[in-house]
This record gives sequence, C-alpha cells and structure tokens, in this order.
Amino acid sequence: MTKRYGNTVAVDDVSFSAEPGRILGLLGPNGAGKTSTIRMITYIAVPDAGAVRYDGRTVGPWSQQRMGYLPEESGLYKRLGVKEQLVYLGTLKGLSRATAADRADYWLDRFDATDWADMTTEELSKGMQQKIQFIATLLHDPSLLIFDEPFSGLDPINADLLRDIILELRRDDRTILFASHRMEQVEQLCDDICLMAEGDVVLQGPLRDVKAQFGQNTLVLEFDGDDAFIDELVTAGQVRVNTRSAHRAELTLADGTDARQVLNRALDRTDELYRYERVAPPLNEIFVEVVGEAEAQRMREEAAAGAA
Amino acid sequence: MSFHKIWLILRSEFWRRVRSKAFVLATLLVPFGAVLLFAAPALFGYLADQTDEQTVAVVDETGRLADSLTATGGEGLTFRPVEAPTDSVRRAVRDGRYDGYLRLPASLLDGTGEATYYSVEGGGLTLRSDLDARVNRVVRRHRLATAGASADVLSIVDSDVGLATRKLSEEEGTTDDSTLAYTAIGYVMAFAIYFAVFFYGQYVMQGVIEEKSSRVVEVIVSSVRPFELLMGKVLGIGAMGLTQMVTWAALATGGMAAIGPVLALFFAPSDLGASPGASPDAMREAAGISVPTIPLDLVVWFILFFVGGFLLYASLFAAVGSAVEQQQDAQNLLLPVMTPLILPILFLIFVIESPNATVSIVTSIIPFFSPILMVLRLAITSVPLWEVATAFVLLVGTFVGMIWVAGRIYRVGILSYGKTPGLREIARWATYR
Repeated sequence: MTKRYGNTVAVDDVSFSAEPGRILGLLGPNGAGKTSTIRMITYIAVPDAGAVRYDGRTVGPWSQQRMGYLPEESGLYKRLGVKEQLVYLGTLKGLSRATAADRADYWLDRFDATDWADMTTEELSKGMQQKIQFIATLLHDPSLLIFDEPFSGLDPINADLLRDIILELRRDDRTILFASHRMEQVEQLCDDICLMAEGDVVLQGPLRDVKAQFGQNTLVLEFDGDDAFIDELVTAGQVRVNTRSAHRAELTLADGTDARQVLNRALDRTDELYRYERVAPPLNEIFVEVVGEAEAQRMREEAAAGAA
Repeated sequence: MSFHKIWLILRSEFWRRVRSKAFVLATLLVPFGAVLLFAAPALFGYLADQTDEQTVAVVDETGRLADSLTATGGEGLTFRPVEAPTDSVRRAVRDGRYDGYLRLPASLLDGTGEATYYSVEGGGLTLRSDLDARVNRVVRRHRLATAGASADVLSIVDSDVGLATRKLSEEEGTTDDSTLAYTAIGYVMAFAIYFAVFFYGQYVMQGVIEEKSSRVVEVIVSSVRPFELLMGKVLGIGAMGLTQMVTWAALATGGMAAIGPVLALFFAPSDLGASPGASPDAMREAAGISVPTIPLDLVVWFILFFVGGFLLYASLFAAVGSAVEQQQDAQNLLLPVMTPLILPILFLIFVIESPNATVSIVTSIIPFFSPILMVLRLAITSVPLWEVATAFVLLVGTFVGMIWVAGRIYRVGILSYGKTPGLREIARWATYR
C-alpha cells in the first residue's frame, strides 16, 4: 500500500503480512511510516494505492468490529467514569450494553481495578489510564490486536502483567501487531519483525531468520581487570562497541576481523575472563547495519524520550 | 453509514452533557436571571411611581391660569397656586415643602413669554414633558377662549386621538394583536436562534477539541467512521440544545400563566384598577402585562429553522475544532464561520422596519442568514409560502453540502497534530482521499 499526504509520501508501496497465533513487531523511528501504516490497517485512513486485506477481504467497518487498537498516544474521555467509558467504547465495537458491562467487570477485576469503576479518568494516574485503555482494546474479544507502545507509562509490575496477557492472547490464535521503538521489548515478545524506515519496509521475516541472516558477528565478554585492550581494538578498527561497562562489553566484529584475535587479546590483558561468547547481533545492531548509525541513534533517543 | 452507531454516539453525547451540573444549573438559572432582568426594572418603576408624588408651586403672574392648571393635577402631579413673594417660595422649595415651582409670566398670554420651572434636583425628563404639555394646553385653551372660539372648537382642540395598530390576516379580516408584540416575539426568536446556534455551535467545537487533545479520538475512529462521530456529536448536542430551549419555553409559559395568580396573592383587584372579583387573568391584563399568543406555524418554522441553522453552523464549528488543539488557536479560523452568523444581526433593525422590502426578502432567503431573518419576518409580517419554502429548501441543501465538506475536513483534522493549519491548508484537506 501507498499513502500520500499532499506532496509527502508517508508510506511508499509497502507490503507485509501477519499470521494468526504470532506477534509481528513493527519497528522504526518516528516518521518511518508506522503510524500511517497502522491507520490504514485499522481503516482509519484509506491507502492511495494498494489495499489492506484481513481474512482475504479488504478492511472496512466490518473489520473494525473484530479489531482492537491501542494507539501510541491515546486517551480517554476525562470526565467520564471508567466503567461507563468502557461500556460506551464496547458498544461502539458492536457489543450490547449488558455484555460490555460484564466484560468490563471481568477485566477490571483481572487488573485489580474494580475500585476505579466509578472514578472519572482525570482522577487516575497515567499508568492506571493505560490499563483502562488496554482493557478497552480487549473488551470486544477482537481477533486482530494492534498495540502501539503499550508499555509506556507502566511500572515494571504492570508491564509484566500486560506482557503475560499479550502472550495469553497469542495462544488463542489471535493476530497481534506490536509497534515499538524499544528493540529489547520487540526482541522479547515478537515472532516476526517488520522494520520500517522512511516509508519503506527495509527488513522483514521471522525474528530468528533475520538474526541468522546477520551471522554471529557479535562477541560478549565479561572480565576483571584492565579494559584498555578494547580501546586498542576500536582504534585498530577491528571492533565496534555496542555496550560497555566496567566488567562487560558487547562488541561487533568488523569485516575481516578474526574473533580469535579478540579472545587472545582479552586473555593477555585482563586479570580474569569469565565469559567469551559469539552470538547473533541484537536487533539494535541489525537496525544500525540496515538503516545506518544516524537513523538508529535517532530511534534510540526517541525510545529514551518515550520511556521518560 | 451506520445509523445505529450515530445513535449510540448521539445518546452518549446527550446524556453526558444533560446530566452534568453545568447543564442543570444553566437550564435553571438562565430563566431565573431573565425574570430578574425583566421584573426588577418593572418593580422599581412601580415603586418609583408610588413614591414620586410631585407637588409643584405655581407662581401665576398672569392671574388667569392658576385655577385651570390646578384642575389638570392628579396622577402623581399636584399644583398648588401660591401668592407669596418669589423669595419665600424659593425657600419653601429648598426646605422641601415643594418639589419645585413654576413661574408663569404675564407675557405668556400673548404667546411671547415662556414658563420656567425651578427646582433643586432638575426634575427629570418625564416631569419636564408632563409640565410642558399641561402648561401648553392651559395657555392654548385660554388664548382660544379669549379670541372668541366656540365651545365646539375648544373641545376639538382638547380631544386626544389614540392610535391603534392591527394586523391583517387573510382568513379572519383583522386580528387585534398589536404589531409591537409580534415585533418583540420576532426579535426574541431571532436572537434566540442566533445565541442558540452560537453557543451550541461552540459546544460542538469544544467537544471536538477535547476529543482531539485528549487523544481519545483515534480510538473512536478505529470503531466508527469519522462522519458518524461528527453526526452523532452534532445531533447529540443539538438534542441537548432543544431540550434546554423546550425547558425554557415551558418555564416561560408556566411563568406567564403564574403571573395572574401571583398578582392575586399580593394585590386586591382594585389596586390594579380591575373590577372587584376579577379573575387572575383579568388582573394581569389590568396590570398591563399581556401574554401574546404565538401561532403554531410560527413555532414549527422556528424549530425547523433552528435545527437547519444549527446543523449548518455546528458542522462548520466542528471542522474548525478538528483543525486545532486548543480553543485559543481557533480564533482566526472562526472568522469565516462567525461572519455570516453575525451579519444578519446587523440587518435586524432594517428588516423590522421594512420586512417586505426587496433587501429584506432576499437576505431572508440566503441560507446562512435565513435561520435568523426568515424567522423574524415570519413573526412580524405575512410571508408568502413560496418564500419560506425556498428559504428552507436552500437551507437544507446548504447544510447537507456543508456537512459533507466539514466531514471531509474533520476526518483529516482530528488526526493532524502540530502547527495550526491555515485556511488554505484546511481547504486542501477536503480534497484528500
């Protein structure tokens, strides 16, 4: 599909698919066309060219009824009670009031939020609001779920609860789309990934295959003692540093560098080497390789800003 | 388009607002305020009438006018001829024994001099014109009599001719309702539509802005079409507006019906100049408060034109609201919406004075003006059916077109964040796929 706004091409002839029972991670920095893509999938916007199909049919009001969407920056009616709001949003998805009320009770209980039922949303904290929105997304038992940064604003305990529920939904053979800036979240949750940059899909496929494609060019070292050898390796152009702390380093081998050289150097120079492991690159590094350092840096900054 | 979804949204928008404290308070307080606004001056006027018993000393230098002038006294104004020298009269006025004194110089009788009223406070307009009329009449009568005019002539000069106005209607010949009452009704209705469209339109805009800035809108449009959301919101707020106005109309009708009985509680019929044992309604009439009856067809047209005008303007307010994130940013964009709404208010006086002039007819048919001007004309004059029908059909056509355009702008606007767009940019949105 392709989507233009005036003279800007937001999404440029993009094509990918998501499977039931799997989680597809949609990755990319702001402006990559993620939001426009999601809006076309949710039938909020219509593509200028191409089509979005669900179960073989072009999406429309019918597919909206079977779909739950949690937008990145979303909100609720401030002065409306929590339960009334959930029931209203549920009826807009085609539920009867009674069913919507029952489901709202079930989920409020599941999230330990029964006490909030009669509070207005403006009285709730940001994290509480995020939970209510998550419930609103699930209320009508959708078979396609789209989560855009669902963990923003949640403390670790609630983030875990949310992750458990997302994985539970996946077991019920639902199709799940998960959009995020946060590479580590995508790595933990997703079966497939779709990497977008500047309106284009630059990389897609099952996460494991994608990683295998990039080989085992990453080294993880844990050690005690002097770490100056890393600086020397970097200066010599043999490795790039992904992450580094006093006793741990994750390095990417430059083309043509023999991993043994790094091992020998580390054994020579450190007091003790606990760990030396050759692994597939983290998603973040794959992203750097595909779209370049500048773009990757921008996304890391956005992720940090989003988490703050 | 799903009418079920529009209905769900309409119901939610309606209830959410109608049960709010703000709505209940406004619905009850506005009539209360209106009663105060109208009743307070009337009450003060009545009290002032009661206390303003003026006594004026008359220093008659002609020696012929004092008696006839005194005879005209009454109704709050009493003349007392005095023989005392001017100085002592002056003192009496300063001491407050008289409210003022009137000096009638001898030259008054040959028509050259002028009467002078002296007072501490200056008197006021009513007193001035009252004195002027009485002195004039007395002097004129005296001069005519001196010139040998007959009693017939004198009685002709004395007689007052009243002016009554009646409205012609096709079936029954004349009806006895006065134009003034209908002008008042038309004026009130025109302003009611103006304010209703203005305020309820603002409500719609505020609602759209709230939905957009709280970012709830993206969730909603993943469930319903933006056009369904727009229509549900506009109709829900319109229903709220009608509820409010019907409540006010009911309170006003009830209030009017209550005036008679309330008067009966506080006054005896004779206080108001009605015959003893008069009915409450008769007492109300005697107190000078008339309740005009509003013809049913006028009420029906009023509602139709209100609904049409509201839909037309509310969709435009919604389009403006969708383009901004805060109320303040809407100011510039509101200009093209507010201008056609305010213009008819400027024509109001002209249309009242010449309801059947070509300009009045044409402006009352133009869709953006007709909700205000056609209702006004319907109240104050007989408007041919084809004019009303044309105005209404044009209004319906225009609001259907406007809602369509507004819907296309709204659809793009609610999901656009960042810099407030200009009018040109907004016009471009309507062309997006």
